[in-house]
Amino acid sequence: MLILVTGGSGSGKSEFAEGLVLQLRTKPYLYIATMYPFDEECHRRIARHRAMRREKEFDTLECYTGLKNIHAEGYGTALLECMSNLTANEMYQEGGAKERCVEEILEGICAVQKQCGHLVVVSNEIFSDGIRYDPETQRYQRYLGQINQKIAEKADLVVEVVYSIPVVHKGNLEKVKWTG
Amino acid sequence: MILVTGGCFQGKKEYAFRQFGIRPEEAADGARCPLEAVYEVRMLYHFHEYIRRLMQEEKEFSLEELLERNPRIVLVTNELGYGVVPVDQFDRAYREKTGRVCCKVAQAAQEVHRVVCGLGTVIKHG
Repeated sequence: MLILVTGGSGSGKSEFAEGLVLQLRTKPYLYIATMYPFDEECHRRIARHRAMRREKEFDTLECYTGLKNIHAEGYGTALLECMSNLTANEMYQEGGAKERCVEEILEGICAVQKQCGHLVVVSNEIFSDGIRYDPETQRYQRYLGQINQKIAEKADLVVEVVYSIPVVHKGNLEKVKWTG
Repeated sequence: MILVTGGCFQGKKEYAFRQFGIRPEEAADGARCPLEAVYEVRMLYHFHEYIRRLMQEEKEFSLEELLERNPRIVLVTNELGYGVVPVDQFDRAYREKTGRVCCKVAQAAQEVHRVVCGLGTVIKHG
């Protein structure tokens, strides 16, 4: 099963996605972490998420670029968080996919899903404010928008989380409970 | 009239083409079409840019006139109101104006669709 969870910043989408993984009940669980720890704020965020996962028996694998090369064999369910970080990493980090980042990331999604039975991808809604961004930021929005659309096309379930409330755009949330 | 809304880069335009059987040549780009085109075309996308251009020319959008002259139009607009208040005065006024106009359009529309990740949800049914 491929699941896309999206939502605004601070919407509770991480917690919701982790809950989905537990409902799928297909162990062992792999957490694919994409946030590169640039500064103190990143470290704090990472620590908060690690604490949330501690009791939930996730193994953590860091992946900043090159998703398609990771080894996730033997895991029942993978949770990838967050697509907005991975996209920015691929665009700007040394060794990143640059202008091929949409294709590379989608290949990565396929590769991970082939290795694990279930994949839950957390993404981010950064598309609905009134600011006209500079061309570079617009390019980032366009890439992430395209990635979200492509994943949604293939996904069995697409959920937008609005302050902890799941809004289902595709598929059936109830099905998750008896798929696992 | 039908309104399609959602964030930028969500595939709204393609969704509208598919959903309503509209061909690209039947649609106008609100960022660059003649202002009169809204009364002639089957679909107008970047409607928020169209509103911006009206403001720059100090013109008002007339819903009554649109409903009278082109009642079957599909308007596709970005949803603009989910961010921090813009610093620039014109940007603030534009964001506000787009919201107010789209509220009126949504009230008058038979259907309103909202697109997220390329997937549409009908949030107002005809």
